[in-house]
Amino acid sequence: MAEITLKGITKIYGQDVVAVDNVDLEIRDGEFMVLLGPSGCGKSTTLRMIAGLEEVTSGELMIDGRRVNDVDPADRDLAIVFQNYALYPHMTVAANLAFGLKLRRVERNEIERRIKQTATMLGIEALLARRPKELSGGQQQRVALGRALVRDPVAFLFDEPLSNLDAKLRAAMRTELIKIHRELGTTIVHVTHDQVEAMTMGERMCIMRDGRVVQVGTPLEVYRYPVDTFVAGFLASPPMNLLTARLVGGDGPEEIDLSGTRIPVPAGIRELLDGHRGRPIVFGIRPEDLYAEASKANLLPFAVKVVTVEALGPEVVLIASLDDGQEIAARLGRGFDAPVGAALRLHADLAMMHIFDADSGAAITHE
Amino acid sequence: MLTAPGLAALMLVITFPLIFAFFTSFYDYTLLHPAHDTFVAWANYQAAWEEEYLGGSLWVTLKFVLASVVIEFAIGFSVALALNAITRFKTVYYLILLAPLLINPVVVGLLWRMLLHTELGIINYVIGRFGIPSVNWLGDAKVAFWTVVLVDIWHQVSFMAILLLAGLAALPREPYEAARMDGASALRCFIHITLPMMRPVIMVALLLRLIFAIKTFDIIFIMTKGGPGTATDLISYFIYRAAFFGLDIGRASAMSVGLLVIVLLLTTYLYRYMRSLR
Repeated sequence: MAEITLKGITKIYGQDVVAVDNVDLEIRDGEFMVLLGPSGCGKSTTLRMIAGLEEVTSGELMIDGRRVNDVDPADRDLAIVFQNYALYPHMTVAANLAFGLKLRRVERNEIERRIKQTATMLGIEALLARRPKELSGGQQQRVALGRALVRDPVAFLFDEPLSNLDAKLRAAMRTELIKIHRELGTTIVHVTHDQVEAMTMGERMCIMRDGRVVQVGTPLEVYRYPVDTFVAGFLASPPMNLLTARLVGGDGPEEIDLSGTRIPVPAGIRELLDGHRGRPIVFGIRPEDLYAEASKANLLPFAVKVVTVEALGPEVVLIASLDDGQEIAARLGRGFDAPVGAALRLHADLAMMHIFDADSGAAITHE
Repeated sequence: MLTAPGLAALMLVITFPLIFAFFTSFYDYTLLHPAHDTFVAWANYQAAWEEEYLGGSLWVTLKFVLASVVIEFAIGFSVALALNAITRFKTVYYLILLAPLLINPVVVGLLWRMLLHTELGIINYVIGRFGIPSVNWLGDAKVAFWTVVLVDIWHQVSFMAILLLAGLAALPREPYEAARMDGASALRCFIHITLPMMRPVIMVALLLRLIFAIKTFDIIFIMTKGGPGTATDLISYFIYRAAFFGLDIGRASAMSVGLLVIVLLLTTYLYRYMRSLR
C-alpha cells in the first residue's frame, strides 16, 4: 500500500534533452493510475523514475511521504512488469518467481506458499517447472506478472505490459488486471499508449504530451471535458471531430460559422469568447454525438457529402465532408447506409459541443 | 549461370586440391613420376598412425589449442565486459582492438620474432632495464611454447573480444532492470542473466576459435619452425614437414585428411548448433 507523489519531477538527458518536464502528480493509496500518451511523451521515463531505474534530474519523488529520489530501486519495494516480460531466461517459472524473494531472504516455506498462491491466482500452476522459452507470449506475460505479485510490493509499476499480446489476449488480460487490482487493492501505475486500456482500466488517468502532464482525471471526466484539442483528439476511436470554424456576429448574439452553418453560442460561455470575435476557433463534436435522423431535441442539422461508410458490425462509421472540404466522422446505427458521394444531413447534438482556442488548443467551453 | 565462373574458380582452388589430397592419401605418391603411383589402400593411414612423433605433435597441438582458446576467452570476455560498460569513444576502442586482427599472421610472426629476439629484441631490452635477465623466448624449449601461445593470443584475442562484445551489446536491458528491482548484486546478474543469455555467443566464439586454432600454421612457420626440438610442433606444421622435408606426400595427405575430418566434425557441430538457435 503506497501513495506516490511526484513534485516537479524533471528528467533531462545529456545537456538539454528534456524527457519529462516538471510533472506534478499524486497517485493515491490503492489507486489504479494510468499514464497515457503517444510514444515519446515521457510516460515510460516517468514510470522508470518512480521505479528508480532512471535518476530524477530535479523535483521530489515521495512514496508514503518519504523522499525516495536517492533510494536504491531494490529498497523502494516496488515491482515492475516490462513490455517484453524480461524473465530470467535459464530459470524455471518457479525459480523466476522465487528469485526476488530469495534475495530478500524470505524463508523457504514462505516462498513456496507464496509461489503456490500466486500461481493459483494466475492459473500458471502447470507451468512452474518450465522455462521461459517453452512458454507462449501470453504465458510469459503471466509469469512476469506473477514475479511482481509474489513479491507483495507496496505498488506495481506496469510498463506497457499488454502491448506485445494479440488483441484477444490483451482484452482478457485487461479484465484480469482489473480483477487482480480489485482483489489486492495495491497501488498500480500503468503506462500505456492504448486509450482503450486507459479508459477501461484506470480509476484515474494522467495524459502526457512532450514530457508534460496535460490532464488528470477519471476516464469519464477526461472523455467529457478534454482540456485541449490534444486530449480531445487522443481519446476514443474515432476521436472527437475537430473542425476549424469562425466566431461571427456583430449586433445580435454571436454565432459560430462552421462551413456556412450557423451555430448559436451557448449562453454560458459567451463572455469567455469575447476576445475571439472574428477569429478562427476549433469546433469539437464527438462522432457519437452526431445523428443521421433528427431523433431528439436541440439537434442542429447540417449538410455533408458521403466520403466512405465503414460498417464495423455493431455500428457504422460515416466519414463525410463539409462544404468547405473538412472531413467529419460520425458513429451511426448499424442500419445506416449511403452511397459514396451522396448528399445528406447530419444532426449534431449541440449540448455536447466543445469549443477550443485555435492557437493554443485550450478548451473554452468550460472551466 | 552467372555463378558459373565463381563456382569454377572454387572448384579449381578448393575442391580439386581437396579431392586430389584425398586420392593421394591412398597412393604411394612419388614426386619423380606422378604416373607411377601405386595404390596402397590404407597403408599411408597406418603409417601415419604408427608414426613415432605424431602423438607428440598431437599433444602439443592439444595443449596449444586449449591454452590459447581458454586464455583468449578469459581475456576476451573481461575486455568485452569492460568495453560494454563504457559509452564514450567506443569506436576508438573498437579500432584499437581490431588492429591486430587486420595484420597478416605472417607479419605478426615476423614482428614478434624481432621483438622477442634474444640479443636485439626490444622486449629483452625492456625487461633488462628492470634487472631481469634476458630470456631466450623462442630458443628455450620450456619458454617457446608459451611464447607462441602468447603471440597467438595477442593476435586473436580481439576476435573473441569483439564477438563477445557484440553479443553483450545485443542483450536486452530489461532482465537486468528486473534483477535490480529484485535487489540482485552485479555478480548474481552476471551468473543468472549475462552467462545464460550469452551462452550461444560464447559457444560460437569458442568453437570458431577452436577450429582456427587447430589449423594454426603461419606463426609457427615464421617463428619457431616447430622447435626448439618439438616444443611447438603443431600438427599442421608436422604435416608440412612430412610433405616437404620428408617428401612423403602420401602419408602427409593421409594426415591432412585426418585433420580435415576433425575440423569438419567440429564445423558440423558448430553449424548444427547455430541452426538450433533459430
